[in-house]
Amino acid sequence: MTPSTNERLFVVWLILVGITVSYLLIDHTASQHGVATASTAVTVGAICLALIKVRIIMREFMEVRGAPQLLCRLTDFWVLLMGVATLGVYLAGRAVA
Amino acid sequence: MTTTESPTLLPADEGRHVPGQPDMWVFVLFESLVFTSYFCVYLYSRTQHERSFLLGQAHLLLWLGVLDTVVLLTSSWAVARCVQHARAGHYERAKRDAWFTGALGFVFLVLKIIEWVRLIHTGNTFTSSPFFEYYFFLTAIHFVHLLIGFVVVGVLLLQLTDVKRRGQQTVETCATYWHTVDFFWVLIFALLYVVR
Repeated sequence: MTPSTNERLFVVWLILVGITVSYLLIDHTASQHGVATASTAVTVGAICLALIKVRIIMREFMEVRGAPQLLCRLTDFWVLLMGVATLGVYLAGRAVA
Repeated sequence: MTTTESPTLLPADEGRHVPGQPDMWVFVLFESLVFTSYFCVYLYSRTQHERSFLLGQAHLLLWLGVLDTVVLLTSSWAVARCVQHARAGHYERAKRDAWFTGALGFVFLVLKIIEWVRLIHTGNTFTSSPFFEYYFFLTAIHFVHLLIGFVVVGVLLLQLTDVKRRGQQTVETCATYWHTVDFFWVLIFALLYVVR
């Protein structure tokens, strides 16, 4: 393994851990006087951050970055599909609740 | 045939290769769709019983979820390093990283069991509330994938140990499966512990 690959994997891991730890901050802002309250902004933010992490894992750890264009586009489309489906269902559910 | 190039390869794809067996990628994409459908049902149900889900969610320890996620992300990092070492022919280093991956998977498994026991002892079971129905279902289905992951890490170690079996494609296929277990947890963690 070249030093640059080693460093790149370490930086990717650091970014993923950083995003994960940032959830603690999101949770803190979502609570009022220690009581959790429903929040569309927090839900949408949490799902978007998770999807960003999934894309980073696919691109960097799963080596999609160096894969044929078809796999690159297909995985990007899949992440988008997961985002549209989950956020769409959540927002539709909020609208009819 | 005068050329060894694949006729389906686009010019932009020269020097690029599919990591692992393409069949594994079909599995990854199929499983992603299955999990997405679970997530959609959970999120819709959540919007219809908001108060009940918030009350149930309050019993979870966010820091424990963060710890679970960091452990699995670190195991993914280790298996990514394993692939790189195997590619470079450094099989001893690759084996060390594969063992590290399995060990971190085991730590995740223990943390998950501790969390389940703690919740059950405080009266939060599969039937106690709609939130915990989804919590136990999603974490258990992920747990099954993790158990399969241990078999996959075993295959990976066998590949790296036995000189006659060594094949980079199988190493990459095993790694792809492990990363999939990791990113499913990334999504489950956000949906169960963080969304409001």
